[in-house]
Amino acid sequence: MTMSEFFSIFQYQFFQHALAAAVLTSVIAAMVGTYIVSRKIVFIGGGITHASFGGIGLAYYMGLNPFAGAAVFGILTALGIEWISDKGKVREDSAIAILWSLGMALGIIFVFMTPGYTPNLMSFLFGNILTVSLTDIRVLLAYAILLIILFGIFYRPILYTAFDPEFARTKGIPVARYRYMMSVVMALAIVLSIRTVGIILVLSMFTIPQITAMLFTRNFSLVMPLAALWGVIGSIAGILMAYVLDIPTSAAIIFFLTMQFLILKGILLIRNHILRK
Amino acid sequence: MKKPLVHLESASTGYHADTVLRDVDFSVYPEDFIGIIGPNGGGKTTMIKLILGLQPLFSGKLHFPAGRPQMGYLPQASQVDRSFPITVKELVSSGMKTRKAWVPFLSASQKSRLESMLGEAGLTSYAGKPIGELSGGQLQKALLCRALIDEPQLLILDEPNTHVDKQFEQELYQWLQELNKSMAILLVSHDIGTISPIIKSIACVNETLHYHPSNQLSEEVLKVYNCPVDVIAHGPVPHRVLKSHDHE
Repeated sequence: MTMSEFFSIFQYQFFQHALAAAVLTSVIAAMVGTYIVSRKIVFIGGGITHASFGGIGLAYYMGLNPFAGAAVFGILTALGIEWISDKGKVREDSAIAILWSLGMALGIIFVFMTPGYTPNLMSFLFGNILTVSLTDIRVLLAYAILLIILFGIFYRPILYTAFDPEFARTKGIPVARYRYMMSVVMALAIVLSIRTVGIILVLSMFTIPQITAMLFTRNFSLVMPLAALWGVIGSIAGILMAYVLDIPTSAAIIFFLTMQFLILKGILLIRNHILRK
Repeated sequence: MKKPLVHLESASTGYHADTVLRDVDFSVYPEDFIGIIGPNGGGKTTMIKLILGLQPLFSGKLHFPAGRPQMGYLPQASQVDRSFPITVKELVSSGMKTRKAWVPFLSASQKSRLESMLGEAGLTSYAGKPIGELSGGQLQKALLCRALIDEPQLLILDEPNTHVDKQFEQELYQWLQELNKSMAILLVSHDIGTISPIIKSIACVNETLHYHPSNQLSEEVLKVYNCPVDVIAHGPVPHRVLKSHDHE
């Protein structure tokens, strides 16, 4: 491939859309993922992601928008997990595992029952950023702006209730209200990101850039923009690699994000080793 | 006579259907410095969480005769996630009770209070650092600043002497004695021997509460209060409260 052939891809609208979606998904995932990683609730993110497949299947079966179905299932799962965690009557990890597998099972059953061929099913599982429409980008942009405003206004209570919910309660902060709000925020962020990298891989967008950012800072307000930066770099590099090597885009993005983390971790280890000498 | 800050009357509490504490009668007055002792699992932490409003009251009464007092709380060190990405400044400022917690920025007076607290604790140079970079003693100082920043009337500390060195422990006790001039203190410890020189009275908690209006404690007294002890050689009162309590 010549350089002019390589750069010619940027002229195409679908590729411009893909880049815009990658940037916006990275920004959304950076903010919500920092909350997820800091609270050590990655497993809850997995539960929401996989349970949303049940909504996709049901929406297909009923002839509705699959993302609306995913959003409803995702939000209900997130709220259900938070409620179980709050009441503590069932072990939280067991409840997540049940909702996780039940969502997948329902998705498979509904898709099986849907008459005819379901062509986009694979794109829900593995994502297809190259088919992102202008409407998708507008939705992602609106959600990214909403999150920036939300974290801007509610930064302190979100941080305090995530770090030490019991202490926050002693200070009169309505912890349950903020936790439920963040559950909905998480569910919508995950469902919107499924378009980019798919159900199977979406969780990595919410964890790998954050742990990469945490190699450099342990300040919540700095982890978010730094995770966005690593997410944008990794996903754009992944898209370009997918184009050059003609491989699936979502897998290439995750591969790049992981390589980015490993290389930076390696550099820091070597630097620390040299400094210690 | 002054009104108590907190008054518990035949109070019972626990987790789900299990009652952990029953028939607790207990009052905390403004000048009190009470050591709450008892075996692990006896209900010490549950008791203070009941006062803090973190535990449901199964039966009995919890009163605040002079209105709900401002309370400062220092949880057990094991409850604090040191890997969480929060700075010392953010940690301490989380102790400020504001009507509008959602206002993103601290007011000028809050900032000034924060700076003076950090200065008093010798943590100014750590203000912007994550809590994971603090030593055990420094983290306890930061947590104590968080508990004190709202100038509480009642300070509640849950085993503040764990994961800290002896030097910090002494420093902490001096600090607490000074603070007791302006606020009541409840100090939870599984080991009375180390806290008896600074406390004024003792509450032994094991399924229920037995109050002892003195810090002078002996094996005989503890037996009267159904708190069997194991004599070990440390502190002015050489003993440790045993788990095998029976308050029949």
